[in-house]
Amino acid sequence: MSDRPVIGQRLKEFQRQEVDRILDACTRCGKCFEVCPMAQYSKSPATDGKAVVPGVLAVLRGEAGTPEALGWIAVCTRSGVCVPACPHNVDPRMMMRLARMTALGGRGLPKQIEAKEDRDYFDRVRAFAKLQLTEEEQKDWT
Amino acid sequence: MKERVTFWYGCNVLRHGDIIHACLDILRAVGYEPHPVGGPDYCCGTVRDANQAAAGGMATRTVAKLNDRGARVVAWCPSCHSHMHDFMERANERQFDTSYMVEVLHDRRDRLAPLLKNPVPIRVMLHRHVGFNELVPVNRMVPELLAMIPGVEVVDGGYTAPGYMCASFAGLPSALADIHANTVRAAKASGAEAVVTTFHQCYREILGLDAAGAIPVYNYIHLIARSMGLAYEDEYKAWKRAGEGAAELIGAQRIAKVGVTFYERAILPELKRRPKLD
Repeated sequence: MSDRPVIGQRLKEFQRQEVDRILDACTRCGKCFEVCPMAQYSKSPATDGKAVVPGVLAVLRGEAGTPEALGWIAVCTRSGVCVPACPHNVDPRMMMRLARMTALGGRGLPKQIEAKEDRDYFDRVRAFAKLQLTEEEQKDWT
Repeated sequence: MKERVTFWYGCNVLRHGDIIHACLDILRAVGYEPHPVGGPDYCCGTVRDANQAAAGGMATRTVAKLNDRGARVVAWCPSCHSHMHDFMERANERQFDTSYMVEVLHDRRDRLAPLLKNPVPIRVMLHRHVGFNELVPVNRMVPELLAMIPGVEVVDGGYTAPGYMCASFAGLPSALADIHANTVRAAKASGAEAVVTTFHQCYREILGLDAAGAIPVYNYIHLIARSMGLAYEDEYKAWKRAGEGAAELIGAQRIAKVGVTFYERAILPELKRRPKLD
């Protein structure tokens, strides 16, 4: 059997440990939601953070999230205002990032939210490199 | 002897060759020997939230390539720098120190100051975000760098946008519209003549305000470069201002390199996009 590590396995393991830590530390107080400047843009607006956060934790466990939780996860843009607001050092920014990855289906669990796909993302980057760098720079720098 | 560093510029800043070239000159001028790397082959993986197997592979490959360079990494892109901090280095053996471009320049501002010889008479407001500032205090450091430029006056518009940078709002048009409107309102209220961004992702988005005639927009590197006498043309700004007419500025020969069909489908819409203003 090959001892070559499975691609992405260590990241997967780190994320699993973080999910376990967050699920253990979070008390569902809702402070992270209350201070979030992006919650107002959710498609399923809510006012009670205590009711929204359990839905986020459900997503992390691989369960179905509530519409309010999924709506909040979908609009997280990593403001980080939640981090100092958390009284238990959960790191809600990491919680929301992992919840987003999970809800997008990125961690091998069922997809619960849709991401705006940009099929040209890397080709566009390569195209701009051709427009902005010399061929020698492209060869040496990219 | 100059310290060798790897200048990890990222992916999307390749729209702005002038910023990459100016950064290299500035780093050399303040005592470094930078080697630039970036583009898809050095992707951090942060754009692959929906595919963590791919993201993990990208992170492992990129950390290995940066390890092989055997030098401190100076990151330009806030997404790459924060992804390194949050995920890449926690799931891979990082064998290099990491710094962010703003903090490197701030740390070497004693060497930078005498190089800022040309006055740039302009009153500017920094376009700020909340997110990245906790990792690197860019909202304090960038104004301090700008204030070193003769003629530059930095005013505080009292507005800090949510999120960690503007490109993360691509799928949230109403929130991005609020950022645009609040940025213009704050700039006008504070008497700023121009808006300056820290990140290229914000520059790309906010530049629509410039193209629409609302207010001039720069990246902080543009002002430092101008004061140092570095004459790199901001072609992306010219293309953005030209919109449909950008093809004429780019030229048929360069467009042929990327393909006319691809240019029209994947690049021109971005150049033509303008913010909705009240």
